[in-house]
Amino acid sequence: MSSRELETFRSGQPAQLADVLERVLDKGIVIAGDIQINVLDIELLTVKLRLLIASADKAREMGIDWWQGDPFLSRRDGNALEDRLRRLEQAAGLPTSEER
Amino acid sequence: MGSATGRAPVGQNGLGWYVYGVVDAGEAQRELAPPTSVEPAHRVTLVREGTLAAVASKVPLEVFTEEGLRETLSDPAWLEPRIRAHEQVLEAALAVTSVVPFRFCTLFRSDDALRAFLGERRNELREALRSVEGKIEIGVKGFLSGDRFAESFAERDEAARGLRERAASAQGGRAYLERRRLEQLLAREVERFKADAAHDIHNRLLASANHGVLNPTQSREVSGREDEMFMNAAYLVDRGQAFEPEVEALASEYQERGVTLERTGPWPPYNFVPRALVEA
Repeated sequence: MSSRELETFRSGQPAQLADVLERVLDKGIVIAGDIQINVLDIELLTVKLRLLIASADKAREMGIDWWQGDPFLSRRDGNALEDRLRRLEQAAGLPTSEER
Repeated sequence: MGSATGRAPVGQNGLGWYVYGVVDAGEAQRELAPPTSVEPAHRVTLVREGTLAAVASKVPLEVFTEEGLRETLSDPAWLEPRIRAHEQVLEAALAVTSVVPFRFCTLFRSDDALRAFLGERRNELREALRSVEGKIEIGVKGFLSGDRFAESFAERDEAARGLRERAASAQGGRAYLERRRLEQLLAREVERFKADAAHDIHNRLLASANHGVLNPTQSREVSGREDEMFMNAAYLVDRGQAFEPEVEALASEYQERGVTLERTGPWPPYNFVPRALVEA
């Protein structure tokens, strides 16, 4: 078995940031309750993070891919979320959902 | 969109709890001893309530508020170590026991708020814990080398071989046309192959796992690799289960068509806990 066929990571070395990000920011239980940030805001911050973690041109591809591929975010009710996302995207200089 | 301002008194000294996840209080008798925390001044500890324990550390609420985070989250230098700390703390917990991971920045204002949460949602939390008990998450990513795929495809496919030979022997515009045809044929075949391979590899790995999910693939910039990612999966497997041989067998089988498989983990089972707690 050559390492060319199967590459194993994480044996002592840190995981790739992208792999950590897609888990820590995108998965795991979201708790609503007596907390500082309500669920909706966490989602928004998550979207914002996705755009920010990648540098400008990366964000375009990364943000759009992840946004569209995320059924949780896509089916969230309320136009407020979409409005705010659009504002975030505009602020980040990204194409908005409408332009896609 | 209300922030929680004014809903409950802020904890003593302006500190609140950052919660990484939940473990069984009995199972986690040994100290978790994670090497880090999201705010290194405050060490990770277990906050117990009944049979559950939150893996948590104190954080200054002036930083970890909606307003505060809006500032800091835009700073990668602030963010990356904290995101990594979140993961490392959960990995330390996973090394000792089963863990239900929470999402980044799950915060409680006070001791009381956290304990009340653990008490009120104990049924849902216990159910989430039960579903991942003795299990870990393994990531499997599939990459395809376009060149190696084209090479192997031209060897196997008669039409592609014919096009290639004609392109090589033809001249000028004719050669260009044959090359274009070959490129188009390859482009179609690559797309079909990626879909089929992801489907096949995923289904065969599912046979050795409790559950599995296919997540959106990462772009080249994000994955940092030249080869295109065509599969980004996660599997919930029993601790100590021989999952690796299955991945290796598939890697060997697909290698000659330009596929490389990358295995990551063990991870806390991020992909296999509910997105939100539902009332039990």
